[in-house]
Amino acid sequence: MIRTLYPALLAAILVPVPLALLASPPAGGGSRVFDYPIHQQTLPNGLKVVVVPFESPGLVAHWVIVRVGSRNEIEPGHSGFAHFFEHMMFRGTEKIPADRYNSILKEMGADSNAFTSDDLTAYHILAGSDALPRIMEIESDRFMNLRYGKEAFQKEARAVLGEYNKNFSFPESTIEEKLYDAAFRTHTYKHTTIGFLRDIEDMPNQYDYSLTFYDRYYRPEHCILLVVGDVDPEKTFALAAQHYGPWKRGSYEVKIPAEPPQTAEKKVSIAWKNPTLPYLTLGYHSPAFSPRDKDMPALDLITQVAFSETSPLYKKLVIDEQLVDALYGSASDHRDPNLFVIGARVKDEAKIKEVQAAIEATLEDLKKNPVDARRLSDTKSHLKYAFQMRLNTADSVAETLAHILQLTGDPEDYNTLYATYDSLTPEDIQKAAVRYFSPENRTVVLLAAEKGKPKEVGR
Amino acid sequence: MKSLPRRNAGTLALAVTSALIAMHCSVGDRGASPGGSPAPGIKTTLLPSANSPIVYFRILFRVGSIDDPAGKEGLAALTARMLGEGGTRSLTYSQLLETLYPMAARIDVQADKEMVVISGRCHRDHLDRYYPLLRDVLLDPRLDSQDFERLRDEAENYLVNGLRGNDDENLGKWTLQTALYSGHPYGHVDAGTVQGLKSITLDDVKKFYATRFTREAVDVGLAGGYTRELVSRITHDFAAKLASGKAEHPPLPAPRTPEGIELVVVKKPCIATAISAGFPTRVTRHDDDWYPLLVANSYLGEHRTFNGVLMNELRGKRGLNYGDYSYIENFIQDGDSTFPVPNIPRRQQYFSFWLRPIPHANALFGLKGALYHLDRLVRQGISEADFEQTRSFLITYSRLWAQSLDQRLGYRQDSDFYGTGDYLTEVQKRLPTLTRDQVNEAVRKHLRADNLVVAVVTEDAQGFLKALQGGKPTPIRYDTSGTPAEILAEDKIIEKFPVKLNAERSRIVTSAELFER
Repeated sequence: MIRTLYPALLAAILVPVPLALLASPPAGGGSRVFDYPIHQQTLPNGLKVVVVPFESPGLVAHWVIVRVGSRNEIEPGHSGFAHFFEHMMFRGTEKIPADRYNSILKEMGADSNAFTSDDLTAYHILAGSDALPRIMEIESDRFMNLRYGKEAFQKEARAVLGEYNKNFSFPESTIEEKLYDAAFRTHTYKHTTIGFLRDIEDMPNQYDYSLTFYDRYYRPEHCILLVVGDVDPEKTFALAAQHYGPWKRGSYEVKIPAEPPQTAEKKVSIAWKNPTLPYLTLGYHSPAFSPRDKDMPALDLITQVAFSETSPLYKKLVIDEQLVDALYGSASDHRDPNLFVIGARVKDEAKIKEVQAAIEATLEDLKKNPVDARRLSDTKSHLKYAFQMRLNTADSVAETLAHILQLTGDPEDYNTLYATYDSLTPEDIQKAAVRYFSPENRTVVLLAAEKGKPKEVGR
Repeated sequence: MKSLPRRNAGTLALAVTSALIAMHCSVGDRGASPGGSPAPGIKTTLLPSANSPIVYFRILFRVGSIDDPAGKEGLAALTARMLGEGGTRSLTYSQLLETLYPMAARIDVQADKEMVVISGRCHRDHLDRYYPLLRDVLLDPRLDSQDFERLRDEAENYLVNGLRGNDDENLGKWTLQTALYSGHPYGHVDAGTVQGLKSITLDDVKKFYATRFTREAVDVGLAGGYTRELVSRITHDFAAKLASGKAEHPPLPAPRTPEGIELVVVKKPCIATAISAGFPTRVTRHDDDWYPLLVANSYLGEHRTFNGVLMNELRGKRGLNYGDYSYIENFIQDGDSTFPVPNIPRRQQYFSFWLRPIPHANALFGLKGALYHLDRLVRQGISEADFEQTRSFLITYSRLWAQSLDQRLGYRQDSDFYGTGDYLTEVQKRLPTLTRDQVNEAVRKHLRADNLVVAVVTEDAQGFLKALQGGKPTPIRYDTSGTPAEILAEDKIIEKFPVKLNAERSRIVTSAELFER
């Protein structure tokens, strides 16, 4: 499964999903935003093991985080391979063939799946705590001893094509693909996680490369084992050592090509074959994630201050003037410099320029004027409460930790990040805005219905 | 940082291990508490959890799209959104959002066929600030013309541009539902129809709110660390401010049974073919036959798992597409989770299977493959080993359905709708005593592979229809090698699977024709 960082504008509008909430330490109470005990050990082979006991009677979440995603697809013609490999990991071993693997999970009554994004591939199982030894046994087996034939490989390649097909009826998928393809010249963020269609179509011919990919990356030094829930840390470490200890360390080191600075604005236009409202998307090159350096946390605050439902721009464009029916700003966390993406779905094609001008005016305002102190403090409060309220189940705690672990490898970094948020001043916000929001640093993508086609428009 | 996928809310509450006790109170309940008595006449569903610092609200109204007046389809959903996304008499929508923001508290709306739920949550520390906001949203809504225009526009764009244009999987699902329930109160998208939305006025919304969002229709659901005082306060507020009106749940007409394969092909530009098929059933969670069907369906097509026959046969062995699942009730996935959202119950349900987009060239084979395996289940039943394994799976898996307090509250309210007692407890009680024979009998009684509506979204609609009309084999075309001989042999059977097309009731439509009125 693909996890895209691109916010879906087409979320079912009548079925909003409530944000998660949970019995957590009162937000704002204390300096540690993530205040559950974190136990860590690293096995001799380099596998980091993180255990977080969490009140979830009889339940455990077992996650293996591979710090490898589409970022690692450095050879031309292999975009989408990390995600494809995620699929292959369910194709069994000599000891436990695929059918048997599925049966074991079924007997456990487990909820199990996996997902891939730019910087990670995560394999997760939620099941009863008493199943943990068995989970470790079957999971370590496939990480160490995966075995599949060409036939299974080729069939799975077509399941990946099916995933591409399901995703690309949405305009957002095409916008994301074209935006990143245009914005990046050399870095592997040029392609999305699912990859280019031409590479997906060629996947059945890449059996040998898949073995290389497995040999390079499915090694303990690239992975983190995370266990959250109704568990004893010491017993969990012992189990991890027993099952994952024999896993052999690798030697491959990837060299990701650096992206040179962008010096001129880029523009992309997409003609869409189906009826659609026009989408205006602006992507500004932005820094790599760091919980300590101020720029990325400052951009996080800008997503809230300038583009959230409580921002003046949202009030103007969505609520008062109703020129736009969806608006967002997103500073997605990545291991390498990525994009700060601003998107608006415009209700009338004639108003696109006006909407873009309003977005640009907002960015100019951020550069020139300090953010109101009250607004800044409300934003920090919102982020902290929203974060803590997300930690509602063993699985959601694991998912939240997986995000920071893929980026830095250190589960304590949420506390570092939120301390950085707290330290940010209006001047820090201004500095970040000046540094990143310049026209030559951006790519503008406009998707609109194909001209000359009969198209319907809403009222 | 990027938003992580949203999961639902609450503290962990396993169906069986949880010590939570659900309480239902209504007129005549003796539940006086130190904080005051609940007001009589207001129904409540309560899941107290003293350790939870969060308070969850699920305010249900027994009203939904089945209550939309003819020609004003979408009125119930639009009214619900006018409450949850339209501010209060004292606060504009923007001001309401600003007030909620530092607390990261939320108010959300879900509008379905027979139920509207305004859900909310806040930290216990903020309860005194939050509750008045939620109260005013529900009891003193703004119902302003500017919000009305915005929300009606959104609903219409969802139909015209979203559903018709750019969401083939949901287009297929809604095409199926509207075809299954043509002429029935379930027969339109909950968001409405294009013409229905156009004809709704703000006065319609005001009147609908006043007459349908009543004391008799409400169920106040509370979970988490709320005080007893809050129960008293909220029920007295609702009793004082909500209008009184008889809760109307008129009997639903029986949906028409499809005759043969009734094909609806939606013609539109698309890169692959989306397929949804099904038929109305007479079984809901209320019925004894529900539990054996639960096992049979899990075996055939448990949602987003590798357990189901459809998933393993069509995707796993043949690489046709990304996923293939089946359902015995309406199912809406909760965010990125594997599980459904609560509070979308129906008095009448339907069986369906969902084949995620298949490359055009293999779509006919994919449809026949699903029908073939459904037919096989009906004819041959489930083996003892598969029955045991699937039942055992569900006994454990069902404990994951409501991991959070908020979800558990939703399930509890749905249990009340269906009259099952606590449904999650009932699953634990019923499954261990089930037999394979009961499952196979229920399958023979309620499932079939010959009388279905099939909704297809594809480019060459004419070709698809003709190929089925002609009755000729529709072989799979592999562009991969090494398919095992036994699969190839079974392919030969599937490609000839007889599809008795009901030509009179089969049709090609453009997406622009759908959801219009």
